[in-house]
Amino acid sequence: MTSWLRWTALPVLAVALVAGVLAVQVGHGGGSFEPLHPADPCVEREVTSRAEGIDALTERLVLLGIDGAACRLHINREALTLELAQSDDPTDAQVDALRGGLHDAVHRMKADGTLPPISSFVDEALDNADLNGFLKAAIRALPDSVIDAALKTDDVLDRTIDDLDLRELLANVDDQDDLNRQVEAAVTQAVKDSLVDRLRNLL
Amino acid sequence: MGPLLAVTVALVLADSAVVTLALPAILRHLDTTVGQVAWVLIAFNLVLGLAAVPTAIGFARAQPRVFAAVGIAVFAGASAWCAMAGSIESLVIARCVQALGGALALVGCLELLVAAYGERRGVTAWVTAGVVGTATGPVAGGLLTEAFSWQAIFVVQVPFAVLAVPAALSMSHAAVPAPDRHRPAIRPNLTLALLSAALTAALFLLVLLLVEGWQRSPSTAAVTVSVVPLAALLARPLARVLGPPPEVEVAAGCFLIAGGLAGLGLLPSADLAWTIAPQALVGLGLGLTADRLTAQAMELRLPRAHHAGWTIGARHVGVVVGLAILTPVFTADLQDAQVPAQEAITALVLDAPLLPDDKVKVAEALGRELSAQRGRVPDLHRAFASLDLAPGERPAAARLERDLDEQLERAATRAFRDSFVIGAGLALLALLTVAIPRRRPAR
Repeated sequence: MTSWLRWTALPVLAVALVAGVLAVQVGHGGGSFEPLHPADPCVEREVTSRAEGIDALTERLVLLGIDGAACRLHINREALTLELAQSDDPTDAQVDALRGGLHDAVHRMKADGTLPPISSFVDEALDNADLNGFLKAAIRALPDSVIDAALKTDDVLDRTIDDLDLRELLANVDDQDDLNRQVEAAVTQAVKDSLVDRLRNLL
Repeated sequence: MGPLLAVTVALVLADSAVVTLALPAILRHLDTTVGQVAWVLIAFNLVLGLAAVPTAIGFARAQPRVFAAVGIAVFAGASAWCAMAGSIESLVIARCVQALGGALALVGCLELLVAAYGERRGVTAWVTAGVVGTATGPVAGGLLTEAFSWQAIFVVQVPFAVLAVPAALSMSHAAVPAPDRHRPAIRPNLTLALLSAALTAALFLLVLLLVEGWQRSPSTAAVTVSVVPLAALLARPLARVLGPPPEVEVAAGCFLIAGGLAGLGLLPSADLAWTIAPQALVGLGLGLTADRLTAQAMELRLPRAHHAGWTIGARHVGVVVGLAILTPVFTADLQDAQVPAQEAITALVLDAPLLPDDKVKVAEALGRELSAQRGRVPDLHRAFASLDLAPGERPAAARLERDLDEQLERAATRAFRDSFVIGAGLALLALLTVAIPRRRPAR
């Protein structure tokens, strides 16, 4: 082997091996194998649910509501979720942002036509409601058009969100029965208030 | 008797990194912290690095066979003590004593191997045994930990060392005081120190990434990192074919180690296959540099034991410097990785195709598990195993578990990136020490 080759062969081979390995790795995403980056909560995202009826509506509202709240607080929704989950006492700013985010979610769903009419929840709501049998039967006998004319979903939801004690709700998030009781009470109150307002306007 | 002494040299130098794969097991068994358990590794290398030169100087006044026999006996006794240690403090002290015995054994065995095989073959046997021990230490440690326990690493050393004591005593060699004619070879020792620091990144960090970050078993990690010693074996035939000058060989080796470490910092996924090529580069580089530099530092320099002491000191102080630089970097990066990992997990749970009630159950179980495993990369399987889900929901939950595990792997891999890149920087510094032209002697 010539002297020139003895000096250059190994360095050239080393450079070729290193360049080859690094090129293949970078070409396959080396350097960007990192955890998922949180999405911008201020950019609208598609939210779906595997549940049906009231559960699906609630899940979509909560997911969109957290996005809206995080956007108001200038953090990502994952950071807000973790903060709320790890804290026993959410701040006023967090509670206000959450309430605002939930209202934003209602308006967004109304605007994009994904807010179902109130009549689609009546049967499910009556199944869970603490009302006497005759009253339940009477309400079920009403045509959907009458129910939808009397109650607007967005109005009921906005009133429910205003009535809810979000601080208590967050504290009881792991107690499903308590959660249901609070939401049911707030929804019932919102339906009553909405109907009273409707009657007042008619009179 | 020579092979037994060579095995002793390999054992002592393997101990430098042999516990790397056992650290998680030691951490759990002795109920200690990551910072404390790192001292099981640091203490041995620090004591061996600092004691090597004074030991070599003291060697001039002793009988090599007695010197080596005492060293091997202390090493064997301390290994048994390590295996029986019931607390981290006791284990660290035992490791210090083990390193002191190791320093005596290494210096003594060098003279005995030279007596047995002659100057050239004796030094070559000593250097080769050291390289083999250093490269195979983590592999052997991982396999023993998985097959038996972390204590087995120390137990298996005892019989070898006990057999080596009579072997050393039976060697006939009269101590001939050698005149102190040569100064230590600064350049090869400095390069050795920097490469040892860089190789610490390759072996120590890679096994931690595999076991703690990617949740692989110690035996899987051991088999994976065996690529380094296997590739190191190919280096010598390659050098023989290409016949480069020694400086070129060492420079190319440094560059390969730097490239391999950069490759480990740029892994495209947590698939073990992606670690093979970068490790092969590191192994080739190790094979081209370690024995060549040790030989350069010792070749025709007298007294031989002093220069052996300098190479041992340079290597092990290099390992300690590597650990001192890299440990705070990767522990801080692992800490910083927690937030993005938690956010990624939260995002996946929020968007998971599960029923709302099941999402809440998953979130609660994950929260409990993450709190219980604070400070470590969590094993999420227990959280999912504890869930009581409807059969129809289980496929989606299994998919979510896989996705969450991938996020943890991504976070851990990202957390180790800077440390591997720093390791590559250390190897490039070593390359610089080779590339800077020597001063020409004044005429």
